[in-house]
Amino acid sequence: MNGSRGLAITAFVLALAPAGLPPYVMTLLTEALILGLFAMSLDLMVGYTRLLSFGHAAAYGLGAYTAGNLLLHTDLPLVFAVLLAGAFSGIVAIGVAWVCTLASGVSFSMLTLAFAQLLYAVAFKWTSVTGASDGLAGIPRNPGPFGITVFTTKAGFYYLVLACLIGAFVFCRSLVRSPFGAVLQGIRENEAKTRSLGFDTRRYKIAVVAIAFALGGLSGALYAPFAGFTNTELLFWLLSGQVLIMVIVGGAGTLIGPIIGAAFFMLVSNFLSSWTDSWALFFGLIFIGFVLFAPQGIWGLATRWFGRGRAPEAKGRRWRSLNWTG
Amino acid sequence: MALLELDGLTRRFGGIIAVDDVTMRVKAGEVRAVIGPNGAGKSTLFNLITGVVKPTTGAVRFDGEELTGLPPQRICQRGISRTFQLTALFPEMTARENARLAAQARHGRRWQPYGGGSVFADAERLGDAALERLGLTHVAQRPAGLLSHGDQRLLEVAMALAQGPRLLLLDEPTQGLSVEETEQAVATLAALLADGSMTVLLVEHDMEVVFRLARMITVLHRGAVIADGAPDVVKADAEVQKAYLGGLA
Repeated sequence: MNGSRGLAITAFVLALAPAGLPPYVMTLLTEALILGLFAMSLDLMVGYTRLLSFGHAAAYGLGAYTAGNLLLHTDLPLVFAVLLAGAFSGIVAIGVAWVCTLASGVSFSMLTLAFAQLLYAVAFKWTSVTGASDGLAGIPRNPGPFGITVFTTKAGFYYLVLACLIGAFVFCRSLVRSPFGAVLQGIRENEAKTRSLGFDTRRYKIAVVAIAFALGGLSGALYAPFAGFTNTELLFWLLSGQVLIMVIVGGAGTLIGPIIGAAFFMLVSNFLSSWTDSWALFFGLIFIGFVLFAPQGIWGLATRWFGRGRAPEAKGRRWRSLNWTG
Repeated sequence: MALLELDGLTRRFGGIIAVDDVTMRVKAGEVRAVIGPNGAGKSTLFNLITGVVKPTTGAVRFDGEELTGLPPQRICQRGISRTFQLTALFPEMTARENARLAAQARHGRRWQPYGGGSVFADAERLGDAALERLGLTHVAQRPAGLLSHGDQRLLEVAMALAQGPRLLLLDEPTQGLSVEETEQAVATLAALLADGSMTVLLVEHDMEVVFRLARMITVLHRGAVIADGAPDVVKADAEVQKAYLGGLA
């Protein structure tokens, strides 16, 4: 199966979904695609550059609160508000990454966590902007531009999310296959060597964090008008951990894997939580199983079964080779 | 004029003087070896030239331009490529991808975040040529991590070569190789350096290797230069014999 044809078929099937699926399934699917975009953005850092972030919720929350405020307090059309919020997250990330990339390995991860927790604390105190513990409620889906109202409906919003996900996927795929992407893979495998070849690796790392935050922010920005509210949980470390699990279970370093991982996470956690209150315990066991026995993740397993193991994105073992010292 | 000039280069680590007032010239087209017993300061000297370590005092000039204080990636961009004493590769990439990435580092659009077919094509052309010169074409499609140790050492040289450097620094290219592998690697390197078009600074432990590859030798002892000249001159130098060669010469 050719990559572009697979993408076209998947997009086509997903585009037909609103015609056949009941509304509550559509709600779940929309949320799964938003989380898929979120997980895919983290994959650029974790899977492709070996920058392990424990604070990716910062991107999600930044996007969500920015979009929430834009939609509540301005007449900016939904599409523009969402894109602007993503861009804002990316710009903030340049500064954050500048600080975090002063360190590497565990220290880098801890700095990302610290930054996310800082935002979490700010969200609790800055009542006028974040609504503190109440969060922002009643976030509308502003119509426009030019009187276009299609995105404000349930199905229309789904198409907006789908378009964002596919657009981001095509963008990321082009990025990781470009010369820039080749340098990222060099950093992942041996950063010191990459630097000694003459690449200013820190700039590449700052750039990839900014891109990951912009796309992660975009997903958060879609979540705000999807749910109609934001709260501080969107900035909490639990979400940072969950998205990391989605990436690893789905297959780090594959882009598609984390999207599947996000859907898998939603599906299984929904199923488990309807059955037991301690669902997180059981999901934890599933996670451990993947790390130990299938470090290449769901997509890694699938590509091996279907004989596409030689595709450049689908080399296994990646995760196992991901260690702290780099 | 010399291509590389070191003037009064000194580096202290605490109370230890690793490199002590080293003045040295490397002319274009010269193959020079830096030898000396363990701890003589050879590796520190390399790290000073490539900017990994900053000198305490003294200066490094390359083609008349000051390099002192520049970060490693900037120095590399000026045309100095190096290999490492401990093999440093991208183990999951193929040998070909390793060489391609090395060549990409010198491309004007090396950071292009989309497409890049022409960047890759240019880099691949240089990378493949370098692989061929080191006799690695037959393993080009294999992951670098799965190559034999000897081929890995040569791949590092190929990567440096793919960058089209004006000065090539080789840090113990036969380190850790068996006798047969060393023989093969030295033959390959000797053929590579035979036409005199490359300027090379070489650190090496193995005297056989040094005398076969280098036309000029600098001897370091406790961080300082104690002899400098053609192999025969250095071999005959009494101080060198006392400090280093022992009963060998």
